[in-house]
Amino acid sequence: MLAYSRCKSVGVQARGDDFRVVSGVLEDELYAMQCEIVINRSTLTLEAVQTKMKRFTTCRCLRAEDVFTRAEGWKIDSSLNGKIKKELGRNGCRHMAGLMVECIRSFAGAELAGDLRAAMEADPELEKSRFLDEFSANKPELASYLGLRSE
Amino acid sequence: MILDFQTNSLTMVESIGKGLWRIVARTDDNLFSAEVTLEVKTPSLDIRQARLEVKRDVLGVVPDLTEPASRLIGVRVGPGMTKIVRQLVGGNDGSPRVAGMVLDAMEMLVNAMTVPELRKAAEQGGVPIRAQNDGPKVYLNDVTIGEETVRLMAANPRLKDSCAAFQDL
Repeated sequence: MLAYSRCKSVGVQARGDDFRVVSGVLEDELYAMQCEIVINRSTLTLEAVQTKMKRFTTCRCLRAEDVFTRAEGWKIDSSLNGKIKKELGRNGCRHMAGLMVECIRSFAGAELAGDLRAAMEADPELEKSRFLDEFSANKPELASYLGLRSE
Repeated sequence: MILDFQTNSLTMVESIGKGLWRIVARTDDNLFSAEVTLEVKTPSLDIRQARLEVKRDVLGVVPDLTEPASRLIGVRVGPGMTKIVRQLVGGNDGSPRVAGMVLDAMEMLVNAMTVPELRKAAEQGGVPIRAQNDGPKVYLNDVTIGEETVRLMAANPRLKDSCAAFQDL
């Protein structure tokens, strides 16, 4: 019999050319929470962060909500996940920190997918390794965040 | 508003008898899809079987994970697992993303084993709550574990200062 199940779902949507809005939800036996982030595409800055602890275990869990706005102004680079988990997870909520990381990974994935789509439209015979090299050269912070390495 | 990109993850934990637990973690996004299956034996909490399957890798960046999967056999769910799994699965012949999925799977086993204890704590030390961000028509939290029981739980060194609930006590 199923003992535990966690579902996380994240969507990335455009807000004009300059911003992306990321929304994530987490649901399992113990917790339900949601996280929304506005990200500036050119500076890779988290412009706005809002979180909601919907279902939780202790009377003190709600204290975590205030902690996550500390991420406003943080930039996406290879150290961001560790910073979120340490500074926000330990002082706020580890589960919300994990959801937030998933949201930012999805933003980075959306940028990668958008560039790939455009490159494949321009060149249907595109070599994926060359695309990855170019993406890494043009957007090194996102490439390193995603841990990309071309073959 | 139409979404440009989606990620969906589902991790399921089930007891399959004789002290064995099976955890299946699946992640899908526009570019990548993978499934991690672990079988963990209790009470030792060591991994007895591990399967790491990449279902879709549009960019072709993830290598064959048969060897990293075999290295997981014997790894214990417990302290130090993050560093160990990242080394074994997230290195040059592996995938940091799949290593994260393995860690999620291991963490969900811990959550599954914690549920009965938390249920007991809520039954014995639960307090009614009307959270300000809950409702106003439907409330998800009617009872949560109260301050006194939280203090008792925080005596566990693994929980103390681990999150907002167990700080400043």
